Amino acid sequence: MKILLVGMNHRTAPVEVRERFTVNDPLPWLQKLVEGEEIEEAVLLSTCNRVEIVVTAPNLERARHRLRGFFHRDLGQASPLPHHRSESAMLYEHVDSDAVRHLFRVAASIDSLVVGEPQILGQVKDAYRVAAEGGACGPLLNRLFTSAFASAKRVRTETEIASRPVSVARVAVDLAHQIFESLADKHALLVGAGEMIEAALEALRGAGLASVAVANRTPEHAADLASRFGATAHGLDELPVLLAAADVVMTSIGVDRPMLDAPLFEKALRERGRRPIFTIDLGVPHNVDPVVNQLDDVYLYDVDDLAGVAEANAEERRRETVRAEAIVQEEVERFDGWLSALQAVPTIRRLRARAESIRQSELDKALAKLGLGDAERKGVEALTHSIVNKLLHAPVSRLRERAEREEGLAYLEAAKVLFALDDPAAPGAEADTPASAPDREAEDA
Amino acid sequence: MAIELHQLVAALYLVAGLAQILGIAIPKLRFGRAAPWLLGAGAFVHGLAFAQLHTMPSPPSLTHLPTAVSLMAWIGVLQSLALLRRARLEGLAAGMALLAFVGVFYASLALRGVEPVPTSATSWPHLHVILASAGLSLLAVAGLAGALFIAVDRALKSKRPAAWRRRLPSLEALDRVNSLALSFGFPLLSCGVVAGMLWTQGETGRLFAGGAHAIWSSVAWAIYLALVVARFRLGRRGREAAVRAALGFAFLLFVVVGVGALT
Repeated sequence: MKILLVGMNHRTAPVEVRERFTVNDPLPWLQKLVEGEEIEEAVLLSTCNRVEIVVTAPNLERARHRLRGFFHRDLGQASPLPHHRSESAMLYEHVDSDAVRHLFRVAASIDSLVVGEPQILGQVKDAYRVAAEGGACGPLLNRLFTSAFASAKRVRTETEIASRPVSVARVAVDLAHQIFESLADKHALLVGAGEMIEAALEALRGAGLASVAVANRTPEHAADLASRFGATAHGLDELPVLLAAADVVMTSIGVDRPMLDAPLFEKALRERGRRPIFTIDLGVPHNVDPVVNQLDDVYLYDVDDLAGVAEANAEERRRETVRAEAIVQEEVERFDGWLSALQAVPTIRRLRARAESIRQSELDKALAKLGLGDAERKGVEALTHSIVNKLLHAPVSRLRERAEREEGLAYLEAAKVLFALDDPAAPGAEADTPASAPDREAEDA
Repeated sequence: MAIELHQLVAALYLVAGLAQILGIAIPKLRFGRAAPWLLGAGAFVHGLAFAQLHTMPSPPSLTHLPTAVSLMAWIGVLQSLALLRRARLEGLAAGMALLAFVGVFYASLALRGVEPVPTSATSWPHLHVILASAGLSLLAVAGLAGALFIAVDRALKSKRPAAWRRRLPSLEALDRVNSLALSFGFPLLSCGVVAGMLWTQGETGRLFAGGAHAIWSSVAWAIYLALVVARFRLGRRGREAAVRAALGFAFLLFVVVGVGALT
């Protein structure tokens, strides 16, 4: 059985192409894929940055042909791709170990546009859940995805790939946590009512602040924004009072010169008993006088400061990918070992069947001659069982062990020759079962 | 035996402090997880060391500087462990572990030559040492929290991202530690000073005996008073309170070392 992964992502296809292949409900597509004989199991992952299908198939070429056709005719609805890029250049393929590695890298967020971003693991889990619940997943993909989740968890816990925020909003929240123990009892003041403030309001609400006040030159705009986010609306004339009550201040308003200066902050600090104020100035030109950062207990960051921290964090994440890749490689090798051990299952099953067949036939012959009573018959039967099991224990264990390594195939071939497992005329051959049921093989492994 | 136990305690505190610092600097090494356990083990053995001291045929008095310093270190470590359970104060615990190491190591060396002294008929000396040690170790906690506050404050002001900074306590938590340490430490030290005065009165008939110990206690109490007034009366909190606490503790250390060298 082969593992094949076909897909496109932010590196191989522009957004206008990717959005044409986006799938909102993957189940009907998956069912369509697995109802043919080319594909055994399938999982479809569709996010804003990638569309990928992982399948298991008995024949690689037929599966490849089927998936390419599926991408072009079904997902892409046969609409022409942009003339400057060919379909083959946009779609990538990975087979077996490469496919496993790619999936593990995707789940661990090493392959993401923003390395270490946390959403992708949830998206991979959702994709797998839909396929599993829809019956499109079998034992091989079950194991593959379970291993991908374990690998991603290791990467997250053993490296710092995801520990530092890389978006400006998250950097601001992270900095706030270095100043305040908890944000649940903190109050925010937002000055302005533009898009930046709206985005900030969303981020701050997500961080769980106790209350948010919006102050704007045009109170109606502030009221509109405040009503949508459960905040209070104020005019700019209330700023001195609002500043004294605010733990987090965010400004983005059009001004010729800074509207919040050091004396205003000093007065607010006195009124609030010198509890710290974290100030984020997103305005260009500055809304807050940079001198304010020199005051004790005020921490002022402008948009360049936040971007600088975000970039430094992103660089640190990229450095951590080296360690993450090493973990992924370990996990890929572990999965490959399991996959190789799976190859040993048919041989082991044939070997057991052959031995059982010989035992049964010899036992029947002996019992016919001896004419034993029930108790003796049972005793002899148990004895033969025990002898066969003990004789097979070592070779079967060794075959399983060796099958996980590179030389495993040679051992399997040797077992077939030594025990005449390929010889249909050999005693007990009729009891053999061909290796056609992956479910049972996976269960045995 | 008690001296050997003190040496073991010093080693445990040193390893705990270093493990905590390594845990903060290089979290992937996971030393930080072991640090509280090492500190706890050190505190447990420290308790055993005191029990051993108590069972000696002629135990050194608690009023001796080495024993008092050891007691102060023990109480400081117990306070740090209690604080660790409430907030992410690993940086504080690391500082206290290293301070405790210095104190216990000094005690283990100094206890060798200590002659037993006649036991006082009253319990004022022991009460004085225990209360004053608890008060002074809380001043150490406030001082360490102040030093950490200054480090985090500088890093935040500089706007340079540093991985270690994210693993230190928040400024708000450090400020709360300062407030708690002063709230409990000052009354404890005050009661300790009163107990000491009553002890002195019983021995000499005077409330203030003079001498290095009395001066040292008075200086410590005056520092505490200044910190408490600034914080709770004048409303000086945040960076200013942190700087005062760190300076106050540093000054007290200097005075203790100076007094120790002179006497």
